[in-house]
Amino acid sequence: MSDASAHLKTSKRYELVAAALRSNIASGRLQPGFVLLEGPIANLMKTSRAPVQAALRILEDENLICRFDGRGYLVGRAGTRATPLRRDIGELRLRIPNEIDTALQNRGLWERIYEEVESAVAACLIFGEFRIIESELADYYGVSRTVVRDVLGRLHERGLITKTQSSHWVVGALTAQSVRERFQLRQFLEPEALRLASDRIDRETIRRVLQQESDCNPTTHGGADWMQLDRVLMESCIFQAPNGHLVDLIRQNQMPLAAASRALTKLGLPEDEIAVSEYLMLFKLIAARAFDAAATYWRSHLGVLAEKNLARLKIVAVITAAPIERPYLTPLD
Amino acid sequence: MAHNARKSLSPAVHSQRTLRVLGTDISLLEAIRLRATADLGFNIEFEVLDFISCQRKAALSPEAYDVYDQCFHNLSIVWYWGALQPIDTMGLSSWDKVGPLTKLGGVDKYANRGVGDVPMNKLYVQPDHFLGPDETRYIAMLPTVHNFDSFGYDTRVFQADGSQRESWAMLFDPRAKGKVALVDEPGIGLFDAALAAEANGDLRFENICNMSPAEIDALFKFLRTQRQEGFFRCCWRTAQEAAVLFRRGDVVVQSMWSPAYNELGDATQFVREAVPAEGYRAWHGGLSIARHVAGPTLRMAYEYLDWWLSGWVGATMARQGYYISAPAAVREHLSPAEWDYWYNGQEAVEDLLGAGGETFVVRKGAKRSGGSYLDRGRHIALWNTVMDEYNYTMRAWTRFVAEVNGKSR
Repeated sequence: MSDASAHLKTSKRYELVAAALRSNIASGRLQPGFVLLEGPIANLMKTSRAPVQAALRILEDENLICRFDGRGYLVGRAGTRATPLRRDIGELRLRIPNEIDTALQNRGLWERIYEEVESAVAACLIFGEFRIIESELADYYGVSRTVVRDVLGRLHERGLITKTQSSHWVVGALTAQSVRERFQLRQFLEPEALRLASDRIDRETIRRVLQQESDCNPTTHGGADWMQLDRVLMESCIFQAPNGHLVDLIRQNQMPLAAASRALTKLGLPEDEIAVSEYLMLFKLIAARAFDAAATYWRSHLGVLAEKNLARLKIVAVITAAPIERPYLTPLD
Repeated sequence: MAHNARKSLSPAVHSQRTLRVLGTDISLLEAIRLRATADLGFNIEFEVLDFISCQRKAALSPEAYDVYDQCFHNLSIVWYWGALQPIDTMGLSSWDKVGPLTKLGGVDKYANRGVGDVPMNKLYVQPDHFLGPDETRYIAMLPTVHNFDSFGYDTRVFQADGSQRESWAMLFDPRAKGKVALVDEPGIGLFDAALAAEANGDLRFENICNMSPAEIDALFKFLRTQRQEGFFRCCWRTAQEAAVLFRRGDVVVQSMWSPAYNELGDATQFVREAVPAEGYRAWHGGLSIARHVAGPTLRMAYEYLDWWLSGWVGATMARQGYYISAPAAVREHLSPAEWDYWYNGQEAVEDLLGAGGETFVVRKGAKRSGGSYLDRGRHIALWNTVMDEYNYTMRAWTRFVAEVNGKSR
């Protein structure tokens, strides 16, 4: 099995959808101005809407598509002013690379609903404790209890839910203490992974990000936001470390933090613009192959990020009701 | 478009000369609004909310106000939400008059600094936009009114007159069973309860102002037991409610805010403000400016901030028992008898009027509990605080208060 197909097999569904759309944008089959709608894409890819939503957000971050006054997204960068082109995506004969298509079709039933459940569960973490009711979960998605157990098993494995003594599944509250501990763990693991990855780092991507930022007008702020830069750091640098267990540990440790961060951003918290310059500083060190300096810099930056995350977590206290409307999640007293 | 053109000629023109202030009844008094309007020459609107609602609105709707009048510990929420803008101290004529409590951390070098959200640690805007104690040109909040709080108790029940040791433990004294009240604010009332639980030996906190989830769980388990045993009468949100509780005889010991002592009526004879052996729970208010404010409104905001420290407001605040960060200017606006009673802790040589200027709130011969500003300010146990686990605490606190007040959430 090639590295690429092995990677696809473990990719998340939204990553596969994003990859499929990306390749069709690159080949020009999806031309500038084409209106992308969630429903038709979900039908075409035989998936639910949630991964399509996530994929579209990623492509928007990458400046491949943009929002406009109508429903959906337009292919092309923001400000290109292409005329919206509304056609059935099914008629376009999109080319879905075989490997992506196979990976999409091979998903078990549980995986189809997993991502949506995970994102609902993740959104709860900052709002206190919730109980997951298995029967409601099964009814909501119209799947069997066996499928539900597979989903819950995976959530448990990833540290997002726990089982109480009375065998109830519970989404635990994300406390400041666990945020602090997880950041401490990140400080132990990630700088080392960065060091180990040194020769395997995708420096072309790093170089491109730095180039894009230097091309941008500083007053309008570069195309990148810190979440996009963080994704580049993880995917192109830290996850390249030649130690699968270490990478798994890093991914798993980050999961509740990333989930909380997404939930906080959805609440309308302002973007952290200072963070962008800090990521760029790190990328400059990596591009200069100063890996020890980069590791040290990242360790100290994680300390700052921990403080910022703790401050952001306090903020949630002013939001009384969790904006979660899933019948299978009920708040615990 | 004609409609819009007419609209622009309407009173909207005048509203450009209005400064909107969001805050609580601690400092947003009608007398202050009227005086500020007269002194400054522009309209001032006050929006008065309880502490928690005020904090929520400040964070979530920064466009709805220009100046935010609240406490330093509140900055943990509102500043980090990005709702406020740094204040340039070079643009404030009052900055040099601000005293050492916020600039240096204590009323003097011998003062006990206290733990928790010490205002100095949230005063200066640091280069990374965090707040910290290292002096910079920019501040997040101009320090104004403050006090050193404790609890009030019924001397008939405790057979005490202040000559005996007073301790936060009195909040859970068996004699007070059924007649205890706490202020409903997790950055304030929680610490009254925690100080009491630690003082009477039931619990011990490694850092009382930064409890771990396990410590918070233990505290609420303890409070729930106290509730089940029938200790609590209720939880209150305003000083007026606290005063009514004592006047009606519903409580014999409770959290207290200074203005409530002025509204006790006949209960003044037997309600005493404690000087806790463990120290006071201090708090510090201040004025911040919303992120969106610019141009003429920003100039009005700076004028309003300076006006607050120019003396008259400080005198009004003093008459309800609060101190101001720039006391020198206040002295000109207080009679010598008032200054000696409120700031120097000396016996009142005459009856003293309250903030409204109509009712006598201090009788001749009375002496302020705890003594002078320096005596009280040297005796801080902790500050009102938004702990790291505030989110976790807030949810537990809301459940607890709903149980005590017998309401469903």
